[in-house]
Amino acid sequence: MKYRITHSTLYHYSQSVGLCQSEAKLQPRNFWRQHCHSSYFDISPKPIDFRERSDFFGNRVAYFAIQQSHSKLIVTSISEVSLYLRQHNVDLVNPIKWEQVRNFLQGHSQSQTFLTQSHESILELIEARQYLLDSPMITIIPDLADYAKISFHPGRSLIEVVYDLVARIHKDFTYDPASTSIATPLFEVISLRRGVCQDFAHLAIGCLRAYGIAARYISGYVETLPEKGKPRLVGADASHAWFSVYIPGTGWLDFDPTNNTMPIDQHITLAWGRDYADVTPLKGIAFGGGQHTLSVSVDVLRLK
Amino acid sequence: MRDNDSSADDIGTQYYATQLGIYDEMYATEKRALPHWKRFMAALDTMGIDRFELRRKEAQRLLRENGVTYNVYGDSQNLTRPWQLDPIPLLISSHEWLSIEAGLKQRADLLDLILKDIYGKQNLLKKGLLPAELIFGHEGFLHPCMSALHHQKRHLTIYSANLARGPNGSMWVLDDRTQAPSGSGYALENRTVMTRVLPDIFCDTQVRRLSSFFKLLHKGLVDIAPHNKEDPRIVILTPGPLNETYFEHAYLAAYLGYSLVQGDDLTVRDGRVWLKSLTGLQAIDVILRRIDDSFCDPLEMFIGSKLGVAGLLEVVRRGNVAIANPLGSSVLENPGLLAFLPRLSRYFLDQELKLPSIATWWCGQKRERDFVLQNIDNLVIKPINRGLNNHAVFGGLLSSKEKDNLRSQIAAKPHFFIGQEHVNFSTLPAFIDQQIEPRNAILRSFVVATGDDYEVMPGGLTRIAPQKDNFTVSNQAGGISKDTWVLATEPDKKIIFWTQPPHNQRIDAVKEPLTSRAADHLFWVGRHLERAEAVTRLLRSILIKHRETLDFKDPVDGDCLTILLRTLTQVTGTYPGFIKCDALFLKSPDLELLSLVKDSHRNGSLSSNINAFFKAAFSIRDFWSQDTWRSVDTIHRRWQERVINTEVTIDHLQENLDDLMNSIVAFTGLTSESMTREAAWVMLDSGRRLERALALIALLRSTLALRHKDALQHQVLEAVLISTDSLSIYQRRYRSYIQLPLVLDLLLLDESHPRSVGYQLKQLSIHINSLSKGKSNRYLSEEERLILKIYTDIRLCNLHELTQVNEDVGVFKDFEKLLSTTSELLWRLSEVIAETYFSHSQISQLMPLNSQEDEL
Repeated sequence: MKYRITHSTLYHYSQSVGLCQSEAKLQPRNFWRQHCHSSYFDISPKPIDFRERSDFFGNRVAYFAIQQSHSKLIVTSISEVSLYLRQHNVDLVNPIKWEQVRNFLQGHSQSQTFLTQSHESILELIEARQYLLDSPMITIIPDLADYAKISFHPGRSLIEVVYDLVARIHKDFTYDPASTSIATPLFEVISLRRGVCQDFAHLAIGCLRAYGIAARYISGYVETLPEKGKPRLVGADASHAWFSVYIPGTGWLDFDPTNNTMPIDQHITLAWGRDYADVTPLKGIAFGGGQHTLSVSVDVLRLK
Repeated sequence: MRDNDSSADDIGTQYYATQLGIYDEMYATEKRALPHWKRFMAALDTMGIDRFELRRKEAQRLLRENGVTYNVYGDSQNLTRPWQLDPIPLLISSHEWLSIEAGLKQRADLLDLILKDIYGKQNLLKKGLLPAELIFGHEGFLHPCMSALHHQKRHLTIYSANLARGPNGSMWVLDDRTQAPSGSGYALENRTVMTRVLPDIFCDTQVRRLSSFFKLLHKGLVDIAPHNKEDPRIVILTPGPLNETYFEHAYLAAYLGYSLVQGDDLTVRDGRVWLKSLTGLQAIDVILRRIDDSFCDPLEMFIGSKLGVAGLLEVVRRGNVAIANPLGSSVLENPGLLAFLPRLSRYFLDQELKLPSIATWWCGQKRERDFVLQNIDNLVIKPINRGLNNHAVFGGLLSSKEKDNLRSQIAAKPHFFIGQEHVNFSTLPAFIDQQIEPRNAILRSFVVATGDDYEVMPGGLTRIAPQKDNFTVSNQAGGISKDTWVLATEPDKKIIFWTQPPHNQRIDAVKEPLTSRAADHLFWVGRHLERAEAVTRLLRSILIKHRETLDFKDPVDGDCLTILLRTLTQVTGTYPGFIKCDALFLKSPDLELLSLVKDSHRNGSLSSNINAFFKAAFSIRDFWSQDTWRSVDTIHRRWQERVINTEVTIDHLQENLDDLMNSIVAFTGLTSESMTREAAWVMLDSGRRLERALALIALLRSTLALRHKDALQHQVLEAVLISTDSLSIYQRRYRSYIQLPLVLDLLLLDESHPRSVGYQLKQLSIHINSLSKGKSNRYLSEEERLILKIYTDIRLCNLHELTQVNEDVGVFKDFEKLLSTTSELLWRLSEVIAETYFSHSQISQLMPLNSQEDEL
């Protein structure tokens, strides 16, 4: 499956901006089921300073600075990505119990782990363990454990637990863009039973971490298909978020609580991190500017 | 209790009772004072308690006058707390110092290696030498800083450790300070004061000197400069005057000759950091930071920070600026690390730790967690992250409910907590309330990297608990400091901060650029003080007139007083005041006058101007010479003491105003005699001239632009001359012949008279031309055009036409028009100066993150 993604953000300022520094995580990363063929930026006005690097989590980051006076900024990224169906059915029936995973991650016999494991699996384990901890936007609170409790039957396999949790979030929570903002804390999302994809991903991650399971946040896009008989609308898509859970022996498995699915061939991954704060697609500091308006358009086009 | 037989026990008839079971610095574990203490105490004994108390007071006076303060958060009434210095130093023998020094160097070595590993290869994590949770769970680990360390020999440029002596007499490290350690400037100032108040004892004692440390600090900062290695531009980045140790930032900036800057004095362009100055952007090579690392770059780290510089980390990543200490180094301040240091020391250095840390158990590991939970009563429990709500608690002081609560917190997030041994620090003699008594003490030591080596300050900042039997030693809690005397076996060579250039080398004077912020503050120092002066002078002539109306009961005096009171309202801008009020209010003006003097919350009042002056001057503390600062302090402090904090009546105002006038004049005189005629002076004096012109015009408008009957006119003219300190010059010139055109000639046009409008405009125009010089081409800048117009209009005016009597009107219309236009243009000029030179006021704003609506 091959896609072309065009993601465009337009800022309009009421007064001119003299200097603007930005950071964009808008280029899809490569990993086992995704390959990014090309990805480039079209920024207007043209930044004097532009540089790409990869961050701590291996995501692609672009830094750019616009040093001339401007009252409008357009940041467009255009990427072509192939997705591969490499998911093994075996992975989905990994019977490992959630308690086993928790104990494994906590390293009850830590020193022993380091003696017996292969180098790669130790690195994988260290990497996974950072996703157990509180992160800037996800603080583990008792509300999370309370909500997740029904899913965590003793002795249940972790995969079943996650399936159940995702289905429950999908059923219990209403998708409502008006209900929350980026700053809405998790405990409020729980009591409102409303939110958007970002909130649901944070919620699921928080629930898993509350039981000692490593989970990370993923930002990206999902292909949306037009209703039958209607033409496809260009630019009507949107950015999306879901999460991934670490299962020893299998690796990281993605789940999308907003759509109650497992992302396979319609989810394009941009970046991952502990939560939204690590993978904010576009942020910046502008000097001057007064009031501003913002509009975003995303287009996910299936090429073949 | 100890025997009372040794001479050192009897100090000036004071009995020194050490605490049971606690190590004392003076006695160690013996019954007799250690030899070096014995000598010091004998000297003290010879001096006697009374004289020693005088020396202590002298030290406090010096510290206060030098403006040595420590700001206490959340105490807006008493923002700056005078620095407390106890005149008995901590004495450390040369022999013992050797081992402390070696221990600190080793520790700096070790921490430097750990820092490099954490932000580099992370072998410590991969090999299981450090648990992932300990590093990743600490706020000091900053993901954006990964792989952003420079190619430097040493990454940790400055290191500081708090030391204390345990009951067995050996020194322990309590905690490590690795991001922006404070205290070295206070230590230096303590030393400066001690050598002045106890010169005799100091000389006899052979104490190691501190100045070499600062020379090394400078060298260390030069060493890490990525560019301009011969002469890098170094700045000190401060959070600003509200920060607790702001005094020290200003002190070090002045001592080391660096610019003191705040975040918005700097800007990132073309992948470099620049200082915004009056003469344009200046590239910065090294930043000595006093800002916590997560606040340093709002783009990549804490996004709400107003203190940092957007894009700074990207410049670091490209190797175009060096920061001491590097961003992310607070990861080493994690107290959980203490538990792992012995193992890491063996791993990296193949050595045992020479200075042990206080016993620490990190709860992230099961065995240690169980130990902490079982021994919670005897331990201090601390979160690994320092924060507003994260306090250390003494397990033994908790109720059983609180203990259960703490236990469940530890169980929920074990990696977040440590348990530490509850140690009784050693005590040392302190001179409190004219008695010598033991107080618990800790020593903050300082280490700096120069090239490959670490060097330790031979001394440090010793602090003692504010109360007896109290183990909490902190400045926020009101601690008292001490000098630290490391004894030398032979007299220490005096180290001079100055270096000699190689023979025949030409030396160019470095003109440190004036930052836009400093320019702004200087301008306002000039304006506020001039405002205060104008109001003071006017108030004094009002008080005289007030007295006369009571004494002579002449109605003309009353009319003149009314005019002066209205003028006061105009000059201070405190409407309605005496402008719109009934006759009774004018008859009994005392309350309003007192309010205009005392009420610091009232805009335009004398107190509000004095406060604003002080605040602006404090914000650029590093600019003032010691004498000048003392005069700033005097203006503010005496006013507080004599007027604000006392019940002042109208009768006592006059002498207080005279006193204020004297201290204002001292400041004015010092600045004009000691500031070089460069940008800073131009800014200060421009503010002063602009304000004086405005105040004079306001005065003339509400007194002399009005027509009065002859008898009243004479009185008003005289009062105006008194208020402008021009009566005697007028009398010398024109004898007793008083007339409006002559007075105006002196006060409006005479450019040789420093209190005339003409003089102010002439000076302003010289200043503005010098600022604009070299800036641009053949066109005049807006500020040049404005001052040219204002100055020319005044020079071209014809006094006889202006004071032409027109029978119908009570106002000299043309005169009034000239004054009001000039005033408007001067206000405009002030705005233009601000826009042109104080560009830092441009506010940064955060572009929004992607809004929610576009997310599925």
